[in-house]
Amino acid sequence: MGRGVWSVVAMVVFWWGFTASGAVSRDLLPSPVDVWAALIEVVTQGYRGTTLWGNALSTLGRLAGGFGTSVIVGVPLGLWMGSNRAANAAIDWVVQFMRPLPPLSYMILLILWLGTGDLSKVALLFLTAFPIVVAASASGVRGVKRQRIDVALALGASRADVFRHVILPSAAPMVMTGLQIALAAAFSTVVSAELLAASDGLGWMVISASTFLRNDVIILCILVLGGLGVGLAAMLRSLDLRLIHWRGRE
Amino acid sequence: MMRALPSWVISLMSILCVAAIWFGITHYGLVRDLFLPGPADLWSGFNELLEEGYKGRELWEHAAMSLTRVGLGFLSGALVGTALGLGMGYLPKLNQIAAPFIEFLRPLPQLAYLILLIVWLGIGETSKITMLFLAALPVSAIAARDGVANVPPERVRVAKTLGATDWQVFTHVLLPSALAEIMVGARLAAGIVYGTLIAAEIIAGNGGIGWMILDAGRFLRSDYVFAGIGLIGLTGIAIDRALLLLERRVVHWAGR
Repeated sequence: MGRGVWSVVAMVVFWWGFTASGAVSRDLLPSPVDVWAALIEVVTQGYRGTTLWGNALSTLGRLAGGFGTSVIVGVPLGLWMGSNRAANAAIDWVVQFMRPLPPLSYMILLILWLGTGDLSKVALLFLTAFPIVVAASASGVRGVKRQRIDVALALGASRADVFRHVILPSAAPMVMTGLQIALAAAFSTVVSAELLAASDGLGWMVISASTFLRNDVIILCILVLGGLGVGLAAMLRSLDLRLIHWRGRE
Repeated sequence: MMRALPSWVISLMSILCVAAIWFGITHYGLVRDLFLPGPADLWSGFNELLEEGYKGRELWEHAAMSLTRVGLGFLSGALVGTALGLGMGYLPKLNQIAAPFIEFLRPLPQLAYLILLIVWLGIGETSKITMLFLAALPVSAIAARDGVANVPPERVRVAKTLGATDWQVFTHVLLPSALAEIMVGARLAAGIVYGTLIAAEIIAGNGGIGWMILDAGRFLRSDYVFAGIGLIGLTGIAIDRALLLLERRVVHWAGR
């Protein structure tokens, strides 16, 4: 850890030295001091009538809407597909078809169908996360050892008991892994979607700053986005560790 | 009754159901073909694309543009990333120095730094390929690093006891043991690079399949949009399958 901090400090010092030497124009590569000033400016005066908080919240709100819906719909559906062969046969081809499609490729259709508002973006994020969540949940159930279910049934457990006490705990680690991958994919997609069509959000802020050649604001947004990405991943990972304390101890 | 049917029959019925609904609502004009082209429109649109191309370029030229970008970005990013990751796995100091940047870069939405790269490098190929390089790099590096870290220490010790030099340990023990994870990382990276490129072409493109979709969407040619999406999906699957095949061939001892 100690070395990690020093390597970041060294990088910032190098960055500062590089810009201070005048080797590149400060419009192209602002110095760390400029980025800090941009942060102060955006926090105190806002950016073009919006605030950094407001934009971050818009981005996170869209993310929560799309990702949340995909969890609410996708996890039960995946669990059902994993335990019911007919359901799996009827639905799996749709999931397998959607999975390799880059989400932005159908964004233009969603805009055509649902308009340029938040609905099309939330739908896009839902469709980004949904196949990942469903596939992980279904394969989590399929991976449950047959003997465990048989033993529970032999000991007199009902179907519901088996699902609640055997299948669900065994499938949970896989489901949580799926959620982490899905959230990372949705986070990447929400920024792309905002770059393409939005009037607020951190992605919009980046594209707007680029038209005014405010590279300091772009770098600031990139740092904020990187921090958010690391934070979101860490949040789900700690939830995973707390919720699924039996992971790896089977 | 449903339980008696084989799975493929149920899948087929489900596909036919969806196809019938698609045919029904487009045939009876329940939605305008602007929004959802019917099967016949889609087919004729696809043939038009094949014969006439799109905006001065043949369809295969658009596909080739996209694939060249993906290929260059993926290869450069995966090679540098794997080399860096191997080094990080082998040398704890290098890992401590490089890890903060890699961990920061990995969850960062690629399109956010594409904008900066466009300002620096222009709108041409360099900025896109650099972005794809940066997209593939952290995934490959982390896979290679974890691959080396997960090698059982006994293996290394046995090799050393038998008189292997550090370099021999690296090439004969660590590298083959880590190869399985490196290949998994490569497939993951290819998927990310491909998805990112389509997004990049949509936001700042001047050719390529992703750009074609966006441009066709602006002119409400949804038959072209659907044909393009189909092509993107099939290409994505083909890339993944090709890498899977390579993985099975290179790491033929996996699971043993």
